[in-house]
Amino acid sequence: MTDLPAAKVDAALRPPRNQWWDVWDQFKTHKGALIGLIIFALILFGVALGPFLWGIDPTYVDPNPVQMLKLRNQGPSLAHPFGTDQLGRDMLARVMAGGKVSIAVGLTAMLLSLFLGTLIGVLAGFFRRLDGILMSATDLFLSLPLLPLLLLMVTLFREPLSQRFGTEAGIFLLIVFAIGVTSWMQTARIVRGEVLALKEREYVLAARSIGTPSRRMVLRHVLPNVMSPIMVSATLGIANAIITESALSFLGLGFPPDFPTWGRILFDAVDQMQLYPLRVILPGVAISLTVLSVNYIGDGLRDALDPRIRGR
Amino acid sequence: MLDRPAPAARRKLVEVKGLKMYFPITAGILRRKVGDVKAVDDVSFDIYEGETLGLVGESGCGKSTCGRVILRLYDPTAGSIRIDGTDITETDSETLRKLRPAMQMVFQDPQASLNPRMTVAAIIGEPLDEHSRLSKAEKLNRIYELMDAVGLNRNFANRYPHEFSGGQRQRIGIARALALNPKFIVCDEPIAALDVSIQAQVVNLLEDLQDRMNLTYLFISHDLSMVRHIADRVAVMYLGRIVELAPRDALYERPMHPYTQALLSAVPEPDPEIETVRKRIILTGDVPSPANPPKGCNFCTRCPKVMDICRAVKPPFREVEPGRYTACHLYEDTTTAGRTGAPEAFTSTQQGV
Repeated sequence: MTDLPAAKVDAALRPPRNQWWDVWDQFKTHKGALIGLIIFALILFGVALGPFLWGIDPTYVDPNPVQMLKLRNQGPSLAHPFGTDQLGRDMLARVMAGGKVSIAVGLTAMLLSLFLGTLIGVLAGFFRRLDGILMSATDLFLSLPLLPLLLLMVTLFREPLSQRFGTEAGIFLLIVFAIGVTSWMQTARIVRGEVLALKEREYVLAARSIGTPSRRMVLRHVLPNVMSPIMVSATLGIANAIITESALSFLGLGFPPDFPTWGRILFDAVDQMQLYPLRVILPGVAISLTVLSVNYIGDGLRDALDPRIRGR
Repeated sequence: MLDRPAPAARRKLVEVKGLKMYFPITAGILRRKVGDVKAVDDVSFDIYEGETLGLVGESGCGKSTCGRVILRLYDPTAGSIRIDGTDITETDSETLRKLRPAMQMVFQDPQASLNPRMTVAAIIGEPLDEHSRLSKAEKLNRIYELMDAVGLNRNFANRYPHEFSGGQRQRIGIARALALNPKFIVCDEPIAALDVSIQAQVVNLLEDLQDRMNLTYLFISHDLSMVRHIADRVAVMYLGRIVELAPRDALYERPMHPYTQALLSAVPEPDPEIETVRKRIILTGDVPSPANPPKGCNFCTRCPKVMDICRAVKPPFREVEPGRYTACHLYEDTTTAGRTGAPEAFTSTQQGV
């Protein structure tokens, strides 16, 4: 159509490039997302490798009572850069160990709720027969009072699961599951609405006239186009899951008391908040930074995945 | 085109008989069915191999629905559709899927009919993914071939639909429809969303492809001049029914049905001297609702030549002259008087309604 110089044509005539490269190119241009990615990577690095570099056990309490009393509630020092808590445990080690659990819970619970929400939303939006029943289920879940339900689930299932999988793994599964199944409804509603609108678009009709079966129609045409709302709810979901886990731990119903998570550290520190504010600020800042960086990453990813925004 | 060709010489590729597409209207708390929108109501026609049948009518008369039902994008309420000898009215989705390559569609809005998240190569390659087992290199080759065929630069393969102009997007849509070597293509107002200079390009491309690949088109449009340019025969629809079906030149020279006459009189004349003396037939009133069409002829509420019988009896769709069909009471007498010698059976086998 347009006349390009011969050399240029040859250079440009290459097989279709993997579109993830385009996504990455666009992602790089989003400053906030890039900073968010760096911060999130640092946090992940800190919580994953930090405990190996910082040799102090987060649950170590000095067995000598006199020594223990001396070590309690210290401010930052070289030996304990973040200070110590009310039992003389090292705060840096606790924040790192707590982050590992909190982020693991946040990511897994977010993935679970995202999977459930997207699945139910797409099924309800795409297949008219399933719409009524699935949306009633969604409304049912939305109408449940969530915190009492979570508390009930934790009290009922904590013991059997702990016996089955061991204390930590059992509680981890329980909390991930509890948060996952109580937070998918928003995603489902948003996705259903988008799918209902997309289903009537002509390119879906075109796919039908080509003979694309429903499942591939969903995977190829519907899902990529509901990516934006899914991304947004994913980033909000991870924040939500970390905060819910903190709330559960804060209420004393999450992981066992000596097992650090960010929520637990907050809970332990609140009693003496006015005397030692640093012990509240540290886990609080860690939670906020994680949530904020994930939000920015999600924002950048959403833009990068949309070819209409790409290249601007 | 005016002469009726011998039936043996031209094979019917598409046969539509008594096709009805009703959309239910529900109301009340219990969503009870209270009526139907009769989008397509008892439509019958044939399309011969290699020809272009133009389907014209005003907005909302059921043209697009008709085109979509013929490809089984909707399930028809009644009637039968045969494409290339196979009845596809009742076939299950898996069998239908195997038949899809023979029949394809070009859509009205080239913006909306291309997935914004797929590259041109992926869009054109989708039918190949679904219906063929080509290797990656073969597929790419075929995609390039198709892009050449519709006049798209090969360099555009990695671009996204939003980077193209309307005409180029429509070319992508046409390339996608051609990917599986179809026999029959429904062009659902392929030029309505394009500006005039691009319309000619796209129509010429369609004609050119028809010559090269022996394609058969159902060309849906409301642009009478464009239909005159591309179609071999023209069907005129009004309120879900075909009111007239005739070879192009005959229809444009001497429209029979009063609606066709009114429609054609609305086409502007480029010559200003003729334009000033030209008489337009101005229809009064609005199109009745397809949910509640008039009892007799659908056109009786607006017809300038309306008779008493029109308000009571639906006129049958019949052949009034060789190759010319119309549904109008005005031609009942002339038919019987003028066609005494014609074989009676011919009418009923052709377009019996």
